[in-house]
Amino acid sequence: MTIAESAPPRRRFARLDRFSGKKYLIFGGTIVALSIFLAAFGAAISPYDPMEATGDISVPPPPIEDWPRLFYLAVAGELEQPPHWFGTDQSGLDVFSRVISAPRADMSIALGGALISLFLGTFLGLIAGFYRNWATELMMRVSDVLQAFPVFITAMILVALAGRETGNLVLALALVYTPIFIRLTRSEVMGQSARGYVQAAWAVGNNGFKIAVKHVLPNSLVPSLVQLSVTVGFAIILTAGLSFVGAGVRPPTPEWGIMISIGAQQLILGEWWPSIFPGLAITITVFGYAIVGHAIEQKFREA
Amino acid sequence: MIGRFILRRVIIAFFQLLGVSLVVFFLIRLLPADPVAGLVGLNASEEAYKQAEQSLGLDKSIFEQLSVFLGFSEDPGLVDASLGISWVTNEPVFLEIGRFLPVTLELVTFSLLLSFLIAIPLGMASATKPGSIADKIALIWGMFAGAQPDYWWGLLFVFVFFFVLGVAPPPMGSIDPMMSRPSVITGFLTIDSILLGRFDVFVSVLYHLMLPVATLVFVISGAITKMVRQNMVRALASDYILYARANGLSKKEVGRYALRAALTPAVTLVGIFYMILLSAAVTVELVFSLSGIGQYAIRSILSFDYPAIQGVVLTVALLSLFIYLLLDIIHAYLDPRVQY
Repeated sequence: MTIAESAPPRRRFARLDRFSGKKYLIFGGTIVALSIFLAAFGAAISPYDPMEATGDISVPPPPIEDWPRLFYLAVAGELEQPPHWFGTDQSGLDVFSRVISAPRADMSIALGGALISLFLGTFLGLIAGFYRNWATELMMRVSDVLQAFPVFITAMILVALAGRETGNLVLALALVYTPIFIRLTRSEVMGQSARGYVQAAWAVGNNGFKIAVKHVLPNSLVPSLVQLSVTVGFAIILTAGLSFVGAGVRPPTPEWGIMISIGAQQLILGEWWPSIFPGLAITITVFGYAIVGHAIEQKFREA
Repeated sequence: MIGRFILRRVIIAFFQLLGVSLVVFFLIRLLPADPVAGLVGLNASEEAYKQAEQSLGLDKSIFEQLSVFLGFSEDPGLVDASLGISWVTNEPVFLEIGRFLPVTLELVTFSLLLSFLIAIPLGMASATKPGSIADKIALIWGMFAGAQPDYWWGLLFVFVFFFVLGVAPPPMGSIDPMMSRPSVITGFLTIDSILLGRFDVFVSVLYHLMLPVATLVFVISGAITKMVRQNMVRALASDYILYARANGLSKKEVGRYALRAALTPAVTLVGIFYMILLSAAVTVELVFSLSGIGQYAIRSILSFDYPAIQGVVLTVALLSLFIYLLLDIIHAYLDPRVQY
């Protein structure tokens, strides 16, 4: 038993424990799973074609008290066409179909960018923390310079000048978020390298690369994993934000930021549904990833 | 001591800025964009294209362009502080940024001040009274912390406060369009209007700032509350607070000691919040049609205006380095344990 275990639990850990409860993880995990499910099958299960106008222009969503009845009728097949749950926008696109089809663009870009920066940043951070020489020092200075760049503006430059393609968006996000992971992993690796088990691994004659990958890396991953869920959240907002300002995915692709931007023109005239629903989707998704990150952090802090 | 600390930091900052300018210079030239086609149009004749390319200096080799950019040749460049001439408006980028930046700084500074005014009492209440309503609000708000689509919240606020309730102005700029703009002294509309005694303008500016500031406050104050709360809880759990309690100090006095200890490390975090807000301001300005640096950035990036893009990136990088330096100095004064 170590000293840390025998000490009475501090007040702040005891208080945070209430929020590491399972129900939060279930809530967040459901949202995360749903976002990935919709990224894969959203377009397939949507009642209307998300790219094709329906002919019903600017139809408001049905009042909330009619939803159960409409849902019953729709399932029973007594309606000629499925209801517009979230209304339609000014060009007649069904908002509900677009909201559930959008994760294909948003989630694949955000997850792709975040995962690439996780792998790249962890790898470079491991090298920088484990081998301390002029080359890794230079790398850290470059990473410092990259961190002095304003995130949103840099991503906008990269995407606008490289061409507004999905691949370029993923790469831009990866570049913008990699320095955080380098820094996190490096400081964790530096802390681990001084620990007894690493010394022991050296003493029995392992080579440096094996120690770095097999012993130090697994013990340095937690901060990056927590950061990953935060980064996915930020990346979703950034992806949607870029298309909101006109430097992201091209319309009419179903994408939350484009939908908000199209709806914004009608919003001050009172047509709220084309931009409120996609924004709600972003907020809920980001919230879900934040909760999962919080839960991971709690889990490993207890252990 | 502190003089040497500042000097070292300024030297590092200079090299960082140089790094930023080199990176942005090569980055935008290596990406496959065609700014000439954007300027002359796709149907322009070959000669017109060549001519435009020449006048922009894009026909030269990249190293010749670099020497122009750094100001080693006769054309206006970086070193004579004009940051080059915008390709779209033909104005010095420096002057343009000087016009756009104050709007953003005004917005961000007001938002940050207001956020702290809300977050500090809320974070303190949450830390001192666990389980209270304030604690629950702070925790749930903290979960939303910082990661919210600010542009969407801005639109939602416009819908509720302009369309439904009618208490806010339409999202069309930073001043009533029927009102004559005050002449420019500092560029900050609030300060200028007071200096000129134009209180009608002052009121109108505050009225128009109301919703954008509310949006940014809403988005950022969760994160600040969370930070205040964490630091406060940590401070309250420390030995010197136990000692203060054992000495029989009142709850209020103990709280004051803890707050001081909790806020000192937070000073350096203010810079991060300032930068997050500056990023968020890009989209919020678009929602409310405020002509700030974010709008300028969007405009110059979408029109491939290289000198303007370089100017924006350098300005924001310079601003962030300056703010971090300033906050480190303040922190060093507040916390005697800091070693230079």
